[in-house]
Amino acid sequence: MLTRRRMLQSSALGFANLALAGLLSESRAQPVGANPLAPRAPHFPAKAKRVIFLFMHGGPSQVDTFDYKPLLQRDDGRPLPFARPRVVSSVTGNLLKSPFRFAQHGQSGQWVSEVFPHVASCVDDLCIIRSMHGSNSRHGGALLELHTGSDTFVRPAMGSWITYGLGTENQNLPGFITICPTLTHGGVNNYASAFMPAIYHGTPIGNAATSSERATIPFIAGPTPRGIQRMELDFLAEMNRERLNHTGPDAALESRIASFELAFRMQAAAPELQDISSESRETQSLYGLDQDRTRNFGRQCLMARRFAERGVRFIQVTHSYKWDQHDQLHRDVANNALEVDKPIAGLIKDLKRRGLLEDTLVVWGGEFGRTPTAQGRDGRDHNPQGFTMWLAGAGIKPGLAYGATDDYGYYAQDDKVHFHDLHATILHLLGLDHERLTFRYAGRDFRLTDVSGEVVNGILA
Amino acid sequence: MRRFTLSLCTLLLSAVAVLGQAPVPDAAARKFFETNVRPVLANRCFQCHGPEMQKGKLRVDSLSALVQGGRSGSAFKAGKPDESLLIQAIRHDGLVQMPPKMKLPAKEIADLTAWIKMGAPWPDAKVVAKIDTKDHEPVFTKEQINHWAFQPVKKPTTPTVKNADWVRSPIDAFVLAGLEAKGLKPAPTADARTLIRRVYFDLIGLPPPVEVVEVFVKDCEGAGAKRGAALAKVVDELLASPRYGERWARHWLDLVRYADSNGMDENLVFGNAWRYRDYVIAAFNSDKPYDQFVREQIAGDLLKNQEITATGFLCIGPKMLAEDDPVKMEMDIIDEQLDTLGRAFLGMTFGCARCHDHKYDPISSSDYYALAGILKSTKTMDNFRVVARWQERPNGSAGDIEKAKVHTKRIAELKEEIKKIKDVIDLKEKHAQLAKFEKMTPAMSEAMAVSDAKATDLRIHLRGNHLALGKEAPRRFPRVFTSLKQSPIDAVQSGRLQFAEWITQPEHPLTSRVMVNRLWHWHFGTGLVRTVDNFGLLGDKPSHPELLDWLAAQFVESGWSIKAMHRAIVLSSTYQMSGAYQEGAFQIDPDNRLHWRHSRRRLEAEALRDSLYVLASSLDASVGGTLFVAKNRAYVPGYPNGIYDKYDIPRRSIYLPVIRSAGYDVLQAFDFADPSFSSGERATTTVAPQALFLMNGKIVHEQTRIWSAKLLAEKTLDDAGRVRRIYTQALGRPPSEKEITRSLEFVQRIESELARAKTADSRSQAWQSFCRVIVSANEFVYVE
Repeated sequence: MLTRRRMLQSSALGFANLALAGLLSESRAQPVGANPLAPRAPHFPAKAKRVIFLFMHGGPSQVDTFDYKPLLQRDDGRPLPFARPRVVSSVTGNLLKSPFRFAQHGQSGQWVSEVFPHVASCVDDLCIIRSMHGSNSRHGGALLELHTGSDTFVRPAMGSWITYGLGTENQNLPGFITICPTLTHGGVNNYASAFMPAIYHGTPIGNAATSSERATIPFIAGPTPRGIQRMELDFLAEMNRERLNHTGPDAALESRIASFELAFRMQAAAPELQDISSESRETQSLYGLDQDRTRNFGRQCLMARRFAERGVRFIQVTHSYKWDQHDQLHRDVANNALEVDKPIAGLIKDLKRRGLLEDTLVVWGGEFGRTPTAQGRDGRDHNPQGFTMWLAGAGIKPGLAYGATDDYGYYAQDDKVHFHDLHATILHLLGLDHERLTFRYAGRDFRLTDVSGEVVNGILA
Repeated sequence: MRRFTLSLCTLLLSAVAVLGQAPVPDAAARKFFETNVRPVLANRCFQCHGPEMQKGKLRVDSLSALVQGGRSGSAFKAGKPDESLLIQAIRHDGLVQMPPKMKLPAKEIADLTAWIKMGAPWPDAKVVAKIDTKDHEPVFTKEQINHWAFQPVKKPTTPTVKNADWVRSPIDAFVLAGLEAKGLKPAPTADARTLIRRVYFDLIGLPPPVEVVEVFVKDCEGAGAKRGAALAKVVDELLASPRYGERWARHWLDLVRYADSNGMDENLVFGNAWRYRDYVIAAFNSDKPYDQFVREQIAGDLLKNQEITATGFLCIGPKMLAEDDPVKMEMDIIDEQLDTLGRAFLGMTFGCARCHDHKYDPISSSDYYALAGILKSTKTMDNFRVVARWQERPNGSAGDIEKAKVHTKRIAELKEEIKKIKDVIDLKEKHAQLAKFEKMTPAMSEAMAVSDAKATDLRIHLRGNHLALGKEAPRRFPRVFTSLKQSPIDAVQSGRLQFAEWITQPEHPLTSRVMVNRLWHWHFGTGLVRTVDNFGLLGDKPSHPELLDWLAAQFVESGWSIKAMHRAIVLSSTYQMSGAYQEGAFQIDPDNRLHWRHSRRRLEAEALRDSLYVLASSLDASVGGTLFVAKNRAYVPGYPNGIYDKYDIPRRSIYLPVIRSAGYDVLQAFDFADPSFSSGERATTTVAPQALFLMNGKIVHEQTRIWSAKLLAEKTLDDAGRVRRIYTQALGRPPSEKEITRSLEFVQRIESELARAKTADSRSQAWQSFCRVIVSANEFVYVE
């Protein structure tokens, strides 16, 4: 039995930690009043303390970026020499070679196409998984599967699972932040806590339709001058405390008093955190903030680093729905890559020189890849059968190319890694056993990985 | 039983046929098998599916073993590679993917495919002895069968208690018996002001008007009997008010995951969902008997009184509308319907049995697919294309629908005629005629609704995989309820009507128990069974099993009247207790499960928002209709800031559009239930964003401005009077002298601070500040 004092101590600080009656009745594992966002020990020693997920919405083409296929270049225009999947989202024609040149980079000699010159310069820090596969050939289903593990039902997001498992290190900030998230293809469900308590819900900063410069936390600013607001809150606290004399002890009422103080502090802290003017010109330029084409995504990446530095557990950065090259492949893959290439490389370099890359896991990728066969003359269709994602930082083998697709890059073939396996591996790096991290809802213990998922041991350092 | 025998025979025949068809391998086939097939099986599969190990209970080292199959059913169909699980698995093209981490080279896949196409010749294959195709009767454990919630409801006699004076209704006797057994005493009765505020928020979700409070306080003075009569009068008035339905329908809407858009992958506008919402409000307001209410939602289209709008219940769930696999899409939709149905009406988690027999509850996979067959025989969707289209049906009397049909036909005919006309004058005339007809089209609304489709039985989907079908599961109802009749479902009907009748028979052990427990939960904040949506073996045990049964029996006896239950509960002594803290009781029962006091509750999102409008006297009390500025079936419209934001309407919150994936941030901040899930219990969190909303939210600023301006404009009030008015309106009580002085000092301080900063309207802004503090106060946000 928790004493009242301890209960108050534990609940007096957190961002959203004051959910006293908030835990769903079926999941009463935590004592009432425990701070559900307090940092918790992992199941086993962790390599990573936090995750930055760089999400490329739309489905970037693997065969035009990281998965070099000489036979595809050779057999351009010929029919695909094997069967297509049973379920496809559109009809595609013959093989279409990549319009981009590939070269080997770094000590590791990994192949990267010419669209990512800056990322290529970090290639020795990357573990490129070329055998990713998922289950769904449509954006909505694939996004949900990537973010939540299910392309069928609304389930808690990966970031929600991780904050549920580990709590957060900075009690003045949310544990799970998503910068400029998409509003389509599942929208909020891609960062929602679903049946878990709302405290594990991702906090959006802006959305895909706002530029990162204008992105803010909801209700963080209002018309009341700060001095007046302070007087209001003092008066309110007096009223509320007096009320406690009438009601007797009540942890919920007391937490609510604290929540106004926390909100007041957040109000001051959040804009400071988003204000990147304190960053040196050199740093800003490292992220491409000095160039029009890279400024928006660069700012998102820089904000991600600032959140990471301050102990936010899961940070997602979204390059909004631009990677869907059903046509204009040549032009748009190059354009998209240009917008993210320098910011991503900047983020990796910056994390590295600050020593943050050691305990931060960076994940890059989209909801699926694209077909090596042509849609129209200059396009590719969705392809969940085989595509590329990469990891960098804490606990992975750097400079490694893991797994392979077939000769043309259609199907993942060797050392296949399903989204469930990726999730299991991310949790593993954070010190969480994906089979033990469960949440009971509707009479069942749910997992991020549902009933499958295996840790990809081959990529662990 | 006949159907079952037949299907068994068919299966046996097909298994024999496999072997019968298998040609005796000639030399070429033998060579092909030995060089291209056996080595692949041996190298790639035997390790896990051979003599040493049989993962998934499957061996692939003999033909009979392949035909027999493993846990996912027979591994192939000779001659039909596309229908063979083995080939699906090696193509890595479905749920089963083999070998798991590595796809076979294209040539090996092609060879195995060719081999099955040849009829799977396997030299020296033995005849398959027997295939287990029995649809096993489910074997339930004693614990499952004897689980309390599956036993018939028996109306218990009311217990005798020591403090008989306290007992106003049998409810009190049960509660008091529980308290006395632990040596506890109920808290004293709440004072009149507390009570009327509680009853108002509870029954209509709005604060009581100042005049009503004062009258009630006066009516309560004196003897207890007077007070009882005064309360009964107020309760009657509230239950008769249209505001009641607007409050209680919202509880129900949480349960049926009500929303005005699809959410999920393709967030399309459910432009007609609101008709179902209005149906629910009307049902609560008219005290529609609960059994009828349930029947209409499951099978309203099949009832004599034709309530097709009610079947919107089955239609408004979130669906993957852009799923490339249409069979999967359909089964997912059915699963979502079944899961909601089970949770909402029965407190059962059917969803688990989609992939395997329920691990805890006595629901087998065949029970699941028997029910799924009923929904498979029901039309929810027009098609399963990408993007799929849900069904809507004309909403009106049979005559109106017929009239509309004739009219539409006539218009189509005219259009055809016009195509054929050459003469300009004729053409003009016809066009005029057409225009006239089109104008006269009767306004026929459409509702999201189901209808019966071709009756079909489903086969069990092994591990939930629609590509691995097992035994047939004829449509019927879960078999654990042995005391209930299985109404026959014939080959023509879907079985929905019979299912609705089965659920609502008075003897059903779950239907009445689950609903009275929900009512208790909504009144007190906690159910007698705390897991309101799960009455299964993993659910909570009732704190007062006899009281639960008494309520359930009473509910059925009252003709399933929800309003009668409200009266019984609200007029009890149990409900009227104060929230007074008692140290001793807190030590014994900190969660107040025994009801030694009334638990304090935070206002729900809607009650809080609606109250802000009520205090400012700006609530628009219009009833029903839609406020969604969007076209049916279009994508949810985006706005400059990216999210639908047309919420700034002074109507009650229940009428605001509920948009999946992009909800209204004000309601969401205060734990609005995720509309993608059936949810009988909202979380109550205390989080910083709620404080931020009260500090910075637009409607808080707007409504407190309007409110304070109105008070300042009342010339008959002095400033102390204004403080009194604000307290009484918001908190239901007058302030003490000390509070008045302190409040006036506060207003004064703010005013001079603002004046110093040269703010123009410092006085009105100072009063607004004061109003903002009041609505932020715990005393306002919590109901005692």
